[in-house]
Amino acid sequence: MTRQSTSPLLPARSGRGSIPAEAGVGLRFRHHREVLDEHPAAAWFEVHIENYMGGGTAPATLDAIRRDYPVSLHGTSLSLGSAEGLDPVHLARVREVVGRVEPDLVSEHLSFSVAAGNYLADLLPLPMTEEALGIVCRNVVQVQDCLKRTILVENPSTYLQFRHSTIPEWEFLAEVARRTGCGILCDVNNIYVSACNHGWRAQTYLAALPAAAVGEIHLAGHSLRRLDDARTIRIDDHGSRVAPEVWALYAEALARFGPVPTLIEWDTDVPPMAVLLEEAAKAAALIEEAESGNGNALAA
Amino acid sequence: METATPSLLELQRAMRESLVVHDDHGVSAHVVPGGIDPAERLDIYRNTFASVLTTALRLSYPAVHRLVGAEFFEGAARIFIEAHPPTSACLDDYGEEFPGFLSDFEPAASLAYLPDVAALEWAVNRALHAPDVEPLDPLRLAALGEPERARVCLVPHPSLSLVRVDHPADLIWRAVLEEDHAALSAIDPGADSAWLFVQRLPTGVEIRRMSESAWSFTSALCTGRSLANALDEARDFDASALLADHLAAGRFVDFNLMQHPPDHTGNIP
Repeated sequence: MTRQSTSPLLPARSGRGSIPAEAGVGLRFRHHREVLDEHPAAAWFEVHIENYMGGGTAPATLDAIRRDYPVSLHGTSLSLGSAEGLDPVHLARVREVVGRVEPDLVSEHLSFSVAAGNYLADLLPLPMTEEALGIVCRNVVQVQDCLKRTILVENPSTYLQFRHSTIPEWEFLAEVARRTGCGILCDVNNIYVSACNHGWRAQTYLAALPAAAVGEIHLAGHSLRRLDDARTIRIDDHGSRVAPEVWALYAEALARFGPVPTLIEWDTDVPPMAVLLEEAAKAAALIEEAESGNGNALAA
Repeated sequence: METATPSLLELQRAMRESLVVHDDHGVSAHVVPGGIDPAERLDIYRNTFASVLTTALRLSYPAVHRLVGAEFFEGAARIFIEAHPPTSACLDDYGEEFPGFLSDFEPAASLAYLPDVAALEWAVNRALHAPDVEPLDPLRLAALGEPERARVCLVPHPSLSLVRVDHPADLIWRAVLEEDHAALSAIDPGADSAWLFVQRLPTGVEIRRMSESAWSFTSALCTGRSLANALDEARDFDASALLADHLAAGRFVDFNLMQHPPDHTGNIP
């Protein structure tokens, strides 16, 4: 955990800020007290912006944690894909939290969650069309202008695709990064889940992402839901350890992107901090391998 | 069969209908089946929508949840969510209409005190999440001249709520959350009005009972009546002492000066 971060020979990554290329942990309320009192050896923490929008105990606790750890703010409800535009009130609240916390990274999702003024409480899939691409880029630019910084945009897990989609999701995400200058938060578990659900090849997805734009990787557990007729669908529920297949895909991602700050996410039945740190240690070991591999490549 | 390609706006509004009111007709024709019925795919998102919002309501209304039980709560929540989908992406804001919904909810009619407990829980939720605001420095008031002082209207701290209940909602709330069965069985849940004052303190949320007159005075201050007028109207208690207590406790954060002093009826012309 005391390892220095990336080699100075590696290119600066868009939007990375000063989060080290190490394994961090998603911080949820149940661990607030423990982090303040026991100072666990996590390299960095990521929190959901929406949980810190008011006053009182939660933001005060985050202020204290922020003094001791790098912190990333992860948004789940800005609705970057909303055709009706961003909710200015919500965006102002995001800006307020970002101003208060001064995080090392800010991220959001390639999805929508607001329609006709209602918040739909999930990361809903977009049709992969030129129209949607234009709208996502417009909204990302608006967020970046408002926050006066670049953000990372994350690929979601999806459970349906639209007939009129014309662009593969990996090309769509790469194009958002190219047009807006935003970075990419590559959620390896989400790639695996969506690839299984839609019959994509996960390696094709990884290969399409511009390595220099990838500023963070997410890892989490997912579940396998059995429908009738022995059909299955994978659900991104963040409720278990990272699956072996996802670890394997993560190693491939590191080989392609180099050492990248990596987060262990767990939101359903959040386990003790020790379990999260065990998962982070597995990621850290793989980052270390990638680092030495990358060093050889640079020396060659 | 609908084959025309929808605009993104149309598709997103159709998804809203699918999730909120379970009407898939605008969206299912546009979904790739891929061996799974579009309705089953949409169910995954529908379930998340309902369960995330039910959890948000349960976190804001823990005493109501315990009083009615998980199954009843979930059933009520599903109906509420369909009628009142969130208009803010910050879920701490969600559920303000739940107490009113419960008071009209026929299956809960036998629990006459339930809407009062819910109203108190919403005030507690507000207190927990209200923004942090610096209290008003009483010296700013003291520095005003007499004519200005007659025009002062105080601005309450956003964590502060005044709740009037027709049942002992505060006693029920406390006993339920502390799982104090002895206390709960000792409460007469019948009609017994109480005037409650809810506020966030550094140590947690405080719920305090007030006399009707002290509550009315505080309520007048919180709803923008002039300080001079509220003091004039106060009867049967030491309003100046209560005002000093409010200010010392940081319950007001600012003041405005009315353009015109109130006339003898107390109305602002």
